[in-house]
Amino acid sequence: MKNRLNVLFWLIIVIAVVLRFWQLGNVPPSPDWDEASLGYNAYSIMMTGHDEYGKFLPVILRSFDDYKPGLYAYLIIPFIKLFDLNLVAVRFPSALFGVLGVIATYLLVKELFNNKYSEHLALLSAALFAISPWDLQFSRIAFEAQVGMVLNLFSMLFFLKGIKKGVFLIPSALLAAASIYTYQSEKVYLPILFAALVFIYWRDLVKIPKKWIALSVLVGVIACIPMLISLFGDQNAFSRAKGVSVFSDQTVFLKNNAQKIADDKNRGDIVGKLVDNRRVEFAKAIVAGYISHFNPDWLFITGDIERHHAPGMGLLYLFELPFLLIGVHQLLFAGYSKKTKLTIFAIFLIAPIPASVTSGVPHAVRTINFLPTFQIFIALGMLAAVRALSNFKLKYLIFTLCILFSIFNFSYFINQYFVQQNYYYSQYWQYGYEKAIDFIKPIKSGYNKIIVSNQAPLDQSYIFFLYYLKFDPKTYQKFGGTGTGGFAETHRGFGNFTFRSIDWSHEDKGNLIVGRPEDFPSGIAGLKTINFLNGRPAIKIVEK
Amino acid sequence: MKTKIVLLLGFIVLLAGFLRFFNITKVPPSLTWDEVSWGYNAYSLGIDGKDEFGRFLPLTYLESFGDFKPPVYAYLTVLPVKLFGLNEFSTRFASAFFGTLTVLLAFFLVRKIFPQTSSTLALASAGVLAISPWHILLSRAAFEANVATFFIVLGVYLFLVSLERRWFIVLSVLSFVVSMYTFNTARIVSPLLLLGLVFANRKYILEKMRKEFVVAAVAGAIIFLPLFLFLLTPQAKLRFAEVNIFSDATVVERSNQQIANDHGAEWSKVLHNRRLGYAIEYLKHYFDNLTPEFLFIKGDGNPKFSIQDVGQMYIWEIPFFIVGILFLFRKRDGHWWIIPYWLIVGIIPAATARETPHALRIETTLPTFQILTAIGIYYVFKFVSSIKYQVLSINTGKLLATCYILLATFNISYFFHNYFVYYPKTYSAEWQYGYRETIAFTKQNEGKFDKIIFTEDLGRPYIYALFYEKYNPQKFREEAKVDREALGFVHVRAFGKYRFVKGVLDNLARNQNNLYIDKPNRVPKDAKILATFTQLDGVSILAAYTL
Repeated sequence: MKNRLNVLFWLIIVIAVVLRFWQLGNVPPSPDWDEASLGYNAYSIMMTGHDEYGKFLPVILRSFDDYKPGLYAYLIIPFIKLFDLNLVAVRFPSALFGVLGVIATYLLVKELFNNKYSEHLALLSAALFAISPWDLQFSRIAFEAQVGMVLNLFSMLFFLKGIKKGVFLIPSALLAAASIYTYQSEKVYLPILFAALVFIYWRDLVKIPKKWIALSVLVGVIACIPMLISLFGDQNAFSRAKGVSVFSDQTVFLKNNAQKIADDKNRGDIVGKLVDNRRVEFAKAIVAGYISHFNPDWLFITGDIERHHAPGMGLLYLFELPFLLIGVHQLLFAGYSKKTKLTIFAIFLIAPIPASVTSGVPHAVRTINFLPTFQIFIALGMLAAVRALSNFKLKYLIFTLCILFSIFNFSYFINQYFVQQNYYYSQYWQYGYEKAIDFIKPIKSGYNKIIVSNQAPLDQSYIFFLYYLKFDPKTYQKFGGTGTGGFAETHRGFGNFTFRSIDWSHEDKGNLIVGRPEDFPSGIAGLKTINFLNGRPAIKIVEK
Repeated sequence: MKTKIVLLLGFIVLLAGFLRFFNITKVPPSLTWDEVSWGYNAYSLGIDGKDEFGRFLPLTYLESFGDFKPPVYAYLTVLPVKLFGLNEFSTRFASAFFGTLTVLLAFFLVRKIFPQTSSTLALASAGVLAISPWHILLSRAAFEANVATFFIVLGVYLFLVSLERRWFIVLSVLSFVVSMYTFNTARIVSPLLLLGLVFANRKYILEKMRKEFVVAAVAGAIIFLPLFLFLLTPQAKLRFAEVNIFSDATVVERSNQQIANDHGAEWSKVLHNRRLGYAIEYLKHYFDNLTPEFLFIKGDGNPKFSIQDVGQMYIWEIPFFIVGILFLFRKRDGHWWIIPYWLIVGIIPAATARETPHALRIETTLPTFQILTAIGIYYVFKFVSSIKYQVLSINTGKLLATCYILLATFNISYFFHNYFVYYPKTYSAEWQYGYRETIAFTKQNEGKFDKIIFTEDLGRPYIYALFYEKYNPQKFREEAKVDREALGFVHVRAFGKYRFVKGVLDNLARNQNNLYIDKPNRVPKDAKILATFTQLDGVSILAAYTL
């Protein structure tokens, strides 16, 4: 029995590896700007110790003025050494952490549940995590959020071990700190989570030797110092947080409210003055953001923006829906320990908090800390369903139907992800640069100037040219590196490349123009047109 | 029943009545064309038993604008129109009245569903329904759905009564059938509900209730027969074909493209079968009705069914709603299963339509949502009142409860303030505001003119002219020039002095003494404007002029 479960564990790992590494550089079909930016900054740091802005060993990457924690870029460096600067190298750490996430899920569930079925539950949760559309989506691309989530899981695992054996609190603190260096939302998520964990495990914590607690807190604080210095050393570092929060665009948001307040004052409406309050509107926006993450459409059918899900798929499988509902009920009311229940519900309920104060909700990346609670609920639900049906006459028929539907659902996802995604979503992955730059590379020295559009959807085009040309970071920094990460601004360019909006009638003769199809008068064939994978034109290269 | 409960129930029903009738002629600010049509048809039926177009005692449908309205609402409005005259109040009376009764009925229903649980739960259910934004909005306008909901709740209640007093099964079945004559969606929801109830109680019915059940089934079938025959006709299917998702060609295109992307493999034809595509599409529209934003934040996108500032339910209900669901499944008291079954079934027909979520088409699920909140309140209250812990000699349980009640009161005040103060002003256009004022003007001045040329741009002006002129139906039928489109739409082109035209400018006759009604921006420069009519938000909507 033990042996068989062991085999199952390794089988799950193999499946997780295959699903994460197979075609890693080709699906999704191209790096989006964030991936290209991480790749080039890693390359730049590797070669020169400085990022594209010339900052030495940055803790925070300015990138496109989103000032993201920089750890992921450092994780890429060994893989650039191994594979050279390409998409596989850039995505490799993420995929690796996806596999580690499967292991973390397995260990965490075993740590949390101590009953006859905990091994089954752990394996089932890990298996569901291994095939989870949500985790696969973000472990197959260089999005640092998924790495942060896995670090959190290990941090929690060591915390749970630490309340039995104090020394483990130190790796827990270190991993939590690492997570803060990895992804923005963790700055909000982890403090709340650990407050909840301390509250839940207070009685255990007071029993362990004080030195371990003191030491782990100390280690954690020290590890965070460079981040704090970077944060408070640069006021702009908060700009991203401000930019995406619900409080950012106040004038539009509050216009209606302001009118009502003025009107209430005119009429002397006391109730009106009380309820037409902008704080009410903010509170409403935050509650709306929070509960938007429990939208069944979002979870099961549509997902949010295209880069966050496969076409025709949500973040969870439809076959998981009934088991999810049973699982929530099960965890709440079945005889598991109170601490186990509280821990899982704490993760589940805290996960959407960072995203709920931002605009653009529901948001699958900012709430990736939901994982693996959904999978644990579903696993609980599946086991409960099997137990409940074990005395039912038609149980084998029902099991067969369920399994068939699950296989069908899984196959559908695999096809949507590996085949349909490239066709339907290549434009959202900013597809086309690789082919365009391959074409330009051999001829670029023949032109005095090469003008590249920086207008949507080709915004931030400069980073793709740096990335694909592997433009020497030293030379780039000598030119001054990147001036600004703003989306609207003209990029100062490098070599004979200039990045700005194109105005065909005013462009000089003899220059090479790289732009969107609509940048050129119709009827101009140009040297080359690169199409999206659905056949629609993406980038046009024209000699004026 | 204890006097305390009777008093509380009385208070809740009075409150419900107040919230449904208070200022009902002004909020919503005016009648939509559907409401006006109900009113005028009721007026017409009350005079000679014929509908506006002269069908005698129509049983299965009112032709109206070609949308073939189920007729019950019109019959229920006959008496109010006789009593109060043809006006906003009498037109909306039936909806508000049956809405109030639904609140009362909810109390008795919940007592039947959970016979073991104290009446407090039933009171809480009635209370939540009484102040429900969803139910209040739909009770304050002439929505036939709201009356259908009453008959469905009555049907379920009577069915549960019949488990003790067997002959009530006949009344239950009749009530379900009446709901099907009241609102389209009920034609699917009611049979499914009845089926579920019968199936769950099949043993009892077979053993103890055979005779009564057969009588009920036969009576139901006889009354249902005319509707059944009508449903087989092409007219009945028109509306459905117009709004359903299964005619969406993009699903087929996507399916073909996906199979092509798989190089036409056989397995891909299974995986990307178009029926599957439609199934997913259907599921999406189904889930739309359960999105948190719809339920708790913004409500239906159509301002007629939601004030846009508050969801179909209040934000303060969220925790109770969740606790309610969990405890319903945890306790499984009495006929607990009816609530999830009802809720699931109630959304089935609405999810076939393109516009989802749709608060009106899923009103047949009410009051299940409110009962779930009430269950949550009941159990949370029980838990909180068991808290003995004190801080500064104040019971923390009471303190928490007080804080939350203050929060809820604030939330409720927010709704009523926005609904009664700002809603009519902001959304008067949604309620076709301006027709009443315009017709009042034409009525007063029609003696001075040969003809009144009226634009059709704002939709269906003829019914407003009939309604506010209290035009004699017989005279209307004799004079009216009516066109019927192939798709079933009915256009009244003229009656009396009125001519209803697409483009008023094409119908100017300088040698005649006509009154023209058109949009203000289309009035000719040399015209003499006699009056302009504005919406409550200040936008001019119609102008009356002569040449």
